[in-house]
Amino acid sequence: MPAATTIERDGRSAIVRLRGDVVIASSRRLWAQLRPLAKRRDVESLTIDFSGAGRMDSSGVAMVSLLRDQMERQGRQLELVELSDEQEAALALAPTERAAPQATHHSQGFIELIGHHVYATGESAAAMGRLIKETVSHAIGVVARRERLPTGALAEQIAKMGADAIGIVGLLSFLLGMTMSFQGAVQLQRLGAGPFVADLIGVSMVREIAPMMTAVILTGRTGAAIAAELGTMRVRSELDALQTMGISPARYLLVPRIGAITIVGPALTLMGMFIGCAGGMIVAAFALDLSPITFWMRMLQRLTAGDFAHGLVKSLVFAWIIGFAGSHLGMRARGDASSVGSATTRTVVVSVFFIIMVDAIFATITTLVKYR
Amino acid sequence: MSDVLVEVRGLTVGYDEPILEDIDLTVERGEIVALLGGSGCGKSTMLRAMTGLLKPLDGDVRLFGKSLYDQSTREREKLLARTGTAFQQDALFGAMTVGENVALPLRELTRVPDQVVREMVRMRLALVGLDGYQDAMPDSISGGQRKRAALARASILDPDLLFCDEPSAGLDPAVAAGIDETLLSFRKALGITIVVVTHELASLHVIADRAVMFAHGSIVAEGTLDQLEESRDDDVYRFFHRVADLPQPMGASRGAPS
Repeated sequence: MPAATTIERDGRSAIVRLRGDVVIASSRRLWAQLRPLAKRRDVESLTIDFSGAGRMDSSGVAMVSLLRDQMERQGRQLELVELSDEQEAALALAPTERAAPQATHHSQGFIELIGHHVYATGESAAAMGRLIKETVSHAIGVVARRERLPTGALAEQIAKMGADAIGIVGLLSFLLGMTMSFQGAVQLQRLGAGPFVADLIGVSMVREIAPMMTAVILTGRTGAAIAAELGTMRVRSELDALQTMGISPARYLLVPRIGAITIVGPALTLMGMFIGCAGGMIVAAFALDLSPITFWMRMLQRLTAGDFAHGLVKSLVFAWIIGFAGSHLGMRARGDASSVGSATTRTVVVSVFFIIMVDAIFATITTLVKYR
Repeated sequence: MSDVLVEVRGLTVGYDEPILEDIDLTVERGEIVALLGGSGCGKSTMLRAMTGLLKPLDGDVRLFGKSLYDQSTREREKLLARTGTAFQQDALFGAMTVGENVALPLRELTRVPDQVVREMVRMRLALVGLDGYQDAMPDSISGGQRKRAALARASILDPDLLFCDEPSAGLDPAVAAGIDETLLSFRKALGITIVVVTHELASLHVIADRAVMFAHGSIVAEGTLDQLEESRDDDVYRFFHRVADLPQPMGASRGAPS
């Protein structure tokens, strides 16, 4: 039965006669009637008559509790009459006292907030330093055969990170090579320097585009996966389990991943270099009538071993950035599923930021060394 | 209105392979029914089937007289909104405070005024011994407190039917007793019918009116605790008399005395 109320005023007192169920479904309407009444200063005594009321659930108990608080705070009176046994039992669920909040969010001032972020960043950097040191130490142990990796772990990681990424890296490199060749051909032809498109494609693919693009794909694909996997393991206490068994998570989990990305990063980059150049070569053949042999010969004349070394060393550094960022941020996940999502997002952002920063440093250093 | 809130008929349920086969079970209004059995016997699977999380391979689950699975999604949601479920792993949302977790069903499914919502949450948290923890984050409270917060969330709508999966497992005896008392008060004050999966004998004796024992993919015994304790069925005897279910040395006797 839907709830309804009749309000009777007698001087400074009021009687509310409830009819129907005092339940969640009727709470909005009832509260809209009861709240203003309890707020009125001229009502010194409020009586709620339950004789016509039916079932009362927690929302009814909560409303009574709120009314009582309000009336008593202002030294006024609330009386409940004609309660059934069931209604009495429901009201007995209401706590008699209010506890003070157990946990409060400490709000930080601006300066404190900056300090907190600086401290947290410093602490995170130090933790990452320790992680790198520990991983390198175990990796040296593995290479020196003092320690061993879980059986098949390195091969499994190489397959996951590398073999499965060949298609996407190859396709994107090819498309990028084609796009650059189109753009370059149009501009260079206007200057009568069409054949120089081979130089353009070769140098930019080998030194810049292939390492950078492979790193971005690895960040989204592998770095995020490492962070999500390790983050989930942290949240599910699997990392704690390893530690309590005396198994180093760095040796068991990180060395295979860092080892794999160390191999996979440069390998995919090398593949990307050649496929990207092939894409450019095909466009040059159609758009400029530049024969593939001429394109290839021009490109090889222009490129030096130093260019390849530049691209491959960069790809190695990028791979380590991705691997260690994913490992570090994944292992720092705490608490719940959202922290894993946050670790994954931060891995991508941090990796891309440092990849671009390192790329800029490489470009600056090599330019200074070459042209001074 | 029917007094049978849960009616399970010929239920076969599992994942790739059936875990439970041809199960019949009814739960009447006002009862506290315990689902018992050893680890892996399928009692939690049974609970998943009853809460709409696992579609049966065969048979039917009826809640409040209506088939749970032979319904549109909307109708199923309406049926499930009349129930509450407290999971074994508390399943609190880590990004919300304890208070926000408990208030979630009220805010999403009802139009209760905000002030009343806050008071209901405070009162329900007080009832489970967590008054004052509204602003705490789930990862800052203990496992026992998280379980109690989950129970508060499951019961905040005063459901007709409350499902609890191992509500007191892993808790110290005092906290476990507190949860038992809370469940009893839910029934007494709010008339909530409760189906509880447990293997805590102490808890069982305090709360359950009736128990259903699962083993080998089916129900092996059903009745009051007294009836079950006197049972000569091997599985029931081992459960109630704490006889180890492990390989025995040759010549050692095990199971119920003949």
